[in-house]
Amino acid sequence: MSDVELTATEAARWALRAGLPLESERHAEVAATANHIHAVVRTLRELDFGETPPATHTIEAEATDGAL
Amino acid sequence: MALFELTLAEAADAVAQGELSPAELTGSVLERLDAVEERLGAYVAVSRETARESAALAEREIAAGRYRGPLHGIPFGLKDLIDVAGLPTTASSRVRAEHVAQADSAVARRLFDAGAVFLGKTHTHEFAYGLTTPQTRNAWDQGRIAGGSSGGSAVAVAAGAATFALGTDTGGSIRVPAALNGVVGLKPTYDLLSRHGVTSLSWSLDHVGPLARTVRDAALVLSALTGEDSEDAVGPGVARPGYPPSEEEDLTGLRIGVPVNYYFDRVSPAVETAVRGALAQMSDLGAELVEVEIPLARYVQATQWGLMVPEATAYHEQALRSVPELYAPDVRVLLEAGELLSAGDYLRAQRARTLMRQAWGQVLEQVDVIAAPTVPMTAAEVGQDIVEWPDGTTESVSDAYVRLSAPANITGIPALTLPVGRDQAGLPIGMQLMGPPMGEALVLRAGQAYEAVQDGRDGLAPVAA
Repeated sequence: MSDVELTATEAARWALRAGLPLESERHAEVAATANHIHAVVRTLRELDFGETPPATHTIEAEATDGAL
Repeated sequence: MALFELTLAEAADAVAQGELSPAELTGSVLERLDAVEERLGAYVAVSRETARESAALAEREIAAGRYRGPLHGIPFGLKDLIDVAGLPTTASSRVRAEHVAQADSAVARRLFDAGAVFLGKTHTHEFAYGLTTPQTRNAWDQGRIAGGSSGGSAVAVAAGAATFALGTDTGGSIRVPAALNGVVGLKPTYDLLSRHGVTSLSWSLDHVGPLARTVRDAALVLSALTGEDSEDAVGPGVARPGYPPSEEEDLTGLRIGVPVNYYFDRVSPAVETAVRGALAQMSDLGAELVEVEIPLARYVQATQWGLMVPEATAYHEQALRSVPELYAPDVRVLLEAGELLSAGDYLRAQRARTLMRQAWGQVLEQVDVIAAPTVPMTAAEVGQDIVEWPDGTTESVSDAYVRLSAPANITGIPALTLPVGRDQAGLPIGMQLMGPPMGEALVLRAGQAYEAVQDGRDGLAPVAA
């Protein structure tokens, strides 16, 4: 299903379900942009994540003094 | 040499020696700003009187023996996503027309405490959601884009209309305009600098950092922004070593990773030649060049978008429903389309980030820093939307500029860009040095060693006054 594209009407319904009513003249443009974004992010479905958890916002590291 | 042409380090030395008046320096930079601003459009608003008063105060303090350090009396600009109490933070957007910041951002407070002289707010691509900064023009060629989203900060520094500036970087927004305007930009490690009081584009990718004329200058600003007395520090017990200017030109023992994939793919010949030339010079200084494979490169854009798009849409949830017509069309449609991404898409991006951080960590065990072009091409012409590459592929200008910057945002590692030459049209080229988390001292030292052996500085952009 990953390559299924939203139609303008479907994009409007999805947006409405997310609480964002869109004026009719915006449906096609938003659908096209959403489909483009989806085409990029769906690449991540190729990855086998196994037990990998989502990243935290913390980076663990100790500061260095730049010595070689 | 006019005073506005001084680097931060030069000005700071002269101020400390009592040879340069902060009031005269600020006056010179303001005069330069006024001379070039109509042509460049770097500033949203300039606080001339406040700047003159701050400079006079700095002068009195220094004369009374209360010298605060290298930033005392030095004029700077702030990207207009960064709060200063009592001033609007417009984010270069009509959405923020009525906004007034109630308090200083943590980074602005640091600079004020260091005695730096605030000049004004610099333009951003609206809410940092873009790579061009359309209100601003490139400092070297006004027919070219400034780059973004910290375009105003980069152009102001390049033109002498600020001695340094701060920007923010979510997918390259400090490094891209810095590279396109021939200045230095540093995206520090994620969370090294507080984002308190800084308008967000994407919480998990946003970083605040300095833009300056030299690596040495960037190190001075970073030192002022960190330090022991922060009330908004990363956490108790976190060591903050400071970033003292390095005089060391010897890079013996430094292992520089040179990517064999991704970073030199679809890069203009002039950019590749300049970066490889800079690496040869660093090799001459004793560094060892080591080929490295960039992991998970195929998934960089998907991860960047999977994180940024839903986070940006979430930040703008209310305004997108109440005043959508006030956004610029390019930003509005991205925010609207972001409503259609699923939680699954976002979580896949966060899990991919985990994999990417682990894999990059392994590469950074083999080498100390990774060097690469900052952006694949020099500044595009105003109005250019698409890049065509010799392999027959095309790419949007924005995608091209984000492509080589995004990995450091996803992984949170420090990334420094510094100028390494110009193309046939005279447009600046940037090289990026990336280090391990909290490895700012290392990338700054490597950058300063390269800088120290150049034949004089490139100087300011030749903007006609």
